[in-house]
Amino acid sequence: MIKVTTMNRMLSLSLLLAGALLSGAAVHAAAPGITGGTATTTGGPVFNLTAQAASLNQPDGNQVYAWGYGCNGAPAGFAPTMPNQTCGTMQVPGPTLIVTEGQTVTVTLLNGLPTAAGNTSILFPDFQVTATGGVTGLMTNEATPTATPTNTVTYSFVASTPGTHAYYSGTQGDLQIEMGLYGAIIVLPATVPTACTSGVHASNVLAQSSASAAHPGVTETDFRLAASAYDHPASCYDREYLFQFAEMDLNIHRTAQAQAALKAGCAAGAIGCSLEVPTEPYHPNYFVVNGRSMPDDMDPNYDAVYPHQPYNGNPHMHPGEDTLIRVIGQGRWQHPFHEHGNHVRILGRDGNLITSATDPSSLAGPLLFTTTTTPGQAFDGIFYWTGRGLNWDAYGHNPNSPKVNGVFVDPAADPPCTPDANGYNTGAPLAVNYFEWCQDHNKPLQAAPFGDVPSGGPATLPDANIFTNGAWYSGSPYLGPDATNRATGPNSVFQPSNVQGNPANERGYAFMWHSHNEREITTNNVFPGGMFMMMLVDSREFVIDESN
Amino acid sequence: MRSITHSAVLLGAAVALTIALPAAAQSFRVQCPTSTITHPDPTNAGVNSSEPAYIGPTTLGLNANGFYAPTANVNGAIKCQQVAGGDGYATMADGTQTYMFSFGPLSGIADIAAGKPGTQFPSVFNTQYPGTLKAGDPATTDGASDAPYTVGTPTFNWNGAVGLTPDLPFLSTIFDISEGCSSSLPGPCTATPATVTVVLNEPSAFNMGDHVVISGTGTGYDNTVANPYWTVSAGAVPNTIFSANQAFQFTANTTGLPQITTSATATVASVPGIDGHVDPRQIIDVGVMNGNIPAPLMAIDEDDEFFLTLSNTGMIMRPDLFEQHTIHFHGYPNASSVYDGVPDASVAINIGGSFTYYYLAPDAGTYFWHCHITPPEHLQMGMVGQLYVRPRQDRVPAGGDLFAALALQQTDLRTACNSAADILCSNPLPAVYTGAAAPASTVATDPTSTAGYAYNDGDGSTYYDVEYPLQMHGFDPNFHFVGMTFNPEAFVDMKDKYFLLNGRSYPDTVNPKVQLTQSSDGRVHYSQPLNSIINIPAGKKALLRISDLSVTEYSTLASLGIPMHVIGYNAKLLRDQAGNNMDYYTNSITLGGGESLDVILDACQVRAADGSCTTAYTKGSVFYLYTPQLDHLSNDAENFGGLMTEVHIN
Repeated sequence: MIKVTTMNRMLSLSLLLAGALLSGAAVHAAAPGITGGTATTTGGPVFNLTAQAASLNQPDGNQVYAWGYGCNGAPAGFAPTMPNQTCGTMQVPGPTLIVTEGQTVTVTLLNGLPTAAGNTSILFPDFQVTATGGVTGLMTNEATPTATPTNTVTYSFVASTPGTHAYYSGTQGDLQIEMGLYGAIIVLPATVPTACTSGVHASNVLAQSSASAAHPGVTETDFRLAASAYDHPASCYDREYLFQFAEMDLNIHRTAQAQAALKAGCAAGAIGCSLEVPTEPYHPNYFVVNGRSMPDDMDPNYDAVYPHQPYNGNPHMHPGEDTLIRVIGQGRWQHPFHEHGNHVRILGRDGNLITSATDPSSLAGPLLFTTTTTPGQAFDGIFYWTGRGLNWDAYGHNPNSPKVNGVFVDPAADPPCTPDANGYNTGAPLAVNYFEWCQDHNKPLQAAPFGDVPSGGPATLPDANIFTNGAWYSGSPYLGPDATNRATGPNSVFQPSNVQGNPANERGYAFMWHSHNEREITTNNVFPGGMFMMMLVDSREFVIDESN
Repeated sequence: MRSITHSAVLLGAAVALTIALPAAAQSFRVQCPTSTITHPDPTNAGVNSSEPAYIGPTTLGLNANGFYAPTANVNGAIKCQQVAGGDGYATMADGTQTYMFSFGPLSGIADIAAGKPGTQFPSVFNTQYPGTLKAGDPATTDGASDAPYTVGTPTFNWNGAVGLTPDLPFLSTIFDISEGCSSSLPGPCTATPATVTVVLNEPSAFNMGDHVVISGTGTGYDNTVANPYWTVSAGAVPNTIFSANQAFQFTANTTGLPQITTSATATVASVPGIDGHVDPRQIIDVGVMNGNIPAPLMAIDEDDEFFLTLSNTGMIMRPDLFEQHTIHFHGYPNASSVYDGVPDASVAINIGGSFTYYYLAPDAGTYFWHCHITPPEHLQMGMVGQLYVRPRQDRVPAGGDLFAALALQQTDLRTACNSAADILCSNPLPAVYTGAAAPASTVATDPTSTAGYAYNDGDGSTYYDVEYPLQMHGFDPNFHFVGMTFNPEAFVDMKDKYFLLNGRSYPDTVNPKVQLTQSSDGRVHYSQPLNSIINIPAGKKALLRISDLSVTEYSTLASLGIPMHVIGYNAKLLRDQAGNNMDYYTNSITLGGGESLDVILDACQVRAADGSCTTAYTKGSVFYLYTPQLDHLSNDAENFGGLMTEVHIN
């Protein structure tokens, strides 16, 4: 149980931290996007977008011709700021628009596509949209490829519901969405419940933001856009990521590229000035998350290597952090997105929080280990990892670790674990084992004595020579660099040679998050690739930088 | 075997050696301790080879080693299973024999052949085959043959671990042996008469409970035919001669035995026992080409410790591949990376090696398992299986109040579900108290029972009389041909042509016999042991544990006539945080690859308020489960068959 005094101290420290943030400390975001300026008419944000053509990098070396939304001029801001942040004139997915519930949002779209591509538009399916300008289209007003002023269209709507929402082209969608004309709007709740900035969520922030025993002299930045996904105390989160799933059929893209080149300079609307690109039969060979295929998705946000694919898919988290995953299906297929490591609680879909029929304070969304992504649909879900129920100490804590004068030589070898009402060590946010599951504290895994970890446990880990070590394997069954060093020694032969996936200062638990229609974890017939990323649960010693 | 302790010491030595000599190698091995720190057995009575009743959480106490260990009321048992990773052939419903990368059973092989889970208690797993295992067993011993098709006489009834063989004894020389209080014990001496202290010339490998044989003292310490071994009563005994780790104690039959110091002939040896050591020849004989589709069925109970050994026997049809395999326990909550089976994030098992995955059984539910090496290839090629965890509620004593039992689970933080604090808990106490009570027997505690609950529901809503695993999968024959013939595989145009339920297509799904296949080793193997006939006694309920491991597309399964009552999804009870059940009725379900769902088919048309059946379905009637994806009702070129099976009301 957390001592009241400790909690009070934590709370006051977190309030100090909140003040520091407000006064201008740098903030990064794992769901990076842009913010709008302030319209003189509505007081709400304005986004000036354009639709243009460019090529996407794929890990097989192909440059895939695509169309995407981009910024028509510098955006009013980035939410929040991040190294190398940029919003070019074309990106896939389009810029993530970050607004707040209740705001009147204005989006202008300039059609910069090749003339033969014809008109284009944006649908915001979750909102009541007023469209002005452009020309009348089938589903909404469309911007023409030339002829000012009809090549600009303006959409205006009230961001009525919080959560994650899709936007995408409303013009010849079978081609234009395939080509990349899609993006996300994140609507932040108007009111963040106090439960999300107090209690365990405040101590999670404190654990990140303090230069502690776990990471001396270094602090971790709060990357969130908000502290809750909805105006609801059951939607609090400590970290967030946005993944947009789509697939691409290279034949469609090459055909569009060839025809657009062939018809360059044709007069808009003239007979023959259009693309005749078959979109069936459909054989997608690229399966992308945020426009990138594995392993590119695990490179940093705004990496200059991917000028038109600024957003990554590289989730990290610490034990016990409620992690919000915002997921949108943007292609034409469903993909069963399997999150290794734990279940996901679906909070809501398309901004609709799912609550109990009898008790609106209780959630009623399903718990899933495989979350279907559905075309045009967004969902918000909460994932966490704590190690509860493993039946062995994931940190390899060893009460018999060497001591000098009664003090552990390695101060992280066996720090105390004091369970709170739910069994976790949350009373010590600055401890290296903050949020440890205490019922298994000191409980051995391995039967034989092995390094500086406890023995007498149930399992015998055999000769490492019969194994092939993975690039994200930490080199031991234990979580974090200290535990791994104690288990295997800092220069042990058991230490895999990997320095890229899970380096010596990280040694996290890696979990594969991927499409379970497994052929979609390939890139143009090559495994591995596609809809595949490694999620890392990092011990408190590792400083997570979500801009990477 | 007594416990893993003494083999563990040997292994520890082997590991230390490995550091010095990285080229050291290790062959196959299994692990199935009879006791652990979580499931102790101080009197070696075999208490972990049965499921005790659930009368409340395990009592835990902080022990001398600084962790919480059971002190009373231990729940659950120990379960073990061994599977081979390799290759094999299966027979498709059009008669085609299809090559697979596949898992095959290496324990519980009689149960697997009979369509049952191959998971065993240590008392069964740790037994040696009384004769000589033959290649292709159990089919070979049963006399199965391909032409004419006959599954033989199922005489093979052994369910132990293939390969088990007694380990070599561990031998030490004795420096000093004495009885009672002697000069070898420090004062003040508290040893009782008949307590024998043995001090060795080297660190002791003998721990409490181990059986040892003493010889060469020429006195009453030596074992005889009538008294074949001593049982170690304490290891690590402080003494006046060497350090404590070189001594142990046991209790002799008599007192007044002499002290013998610096004997040149006295030795102590462990009794050769079953300790996980295996003879690789048996593993190869039985494991090669014994692939099953689905992979061997597994069933464990909440609170069990599960020791799952994967032995990689290699793929004899693809000698060019040095293919590793792993096991991914799909859906295991709060998993560790090392036992998650993802080769990128863990270790992968090379040919000729074994790895024992260790799990504490997670929350009850319908899970599944598969290899995680190059998943689009190894899953398509057939390395997929079924695994379910039965709930604590199955072990509530007959007549016990289910709500009260679930309330008891809230008193252990590991088994509690507190919606206010844990956003991922799925079975809070039900909002409505139904008064449901535990039945007379369940599958967890009575091997003759088939009844149970899918989840810890607290209201009896997930009760079933019979349960059936049902796994949907698809085979692309082109991909399998390419996979057999050394050609590069293409993923984009992967197109399934065989649509499988438990590894078979209609009409094979309703063949009650084990499906056998003659493989390229010339032997007949039981390749597809599970039929998919859903037999339901009239008026009773069947739980369908449905999973989908398709690699290419979403799959739909529909029920003609008998409604599907969906009670669980992705191994979680359908219940909101306020305790309201979110179950629903439908006549079709759709799953993507990597999903599972629990359906109850109720062979009763009208139930009374107390749940008893007043109007049952007619005995002898037949219903169909089939896919409305109509092109999937085919077996490659045959425009008939596919993803379909029958429900028989008995």
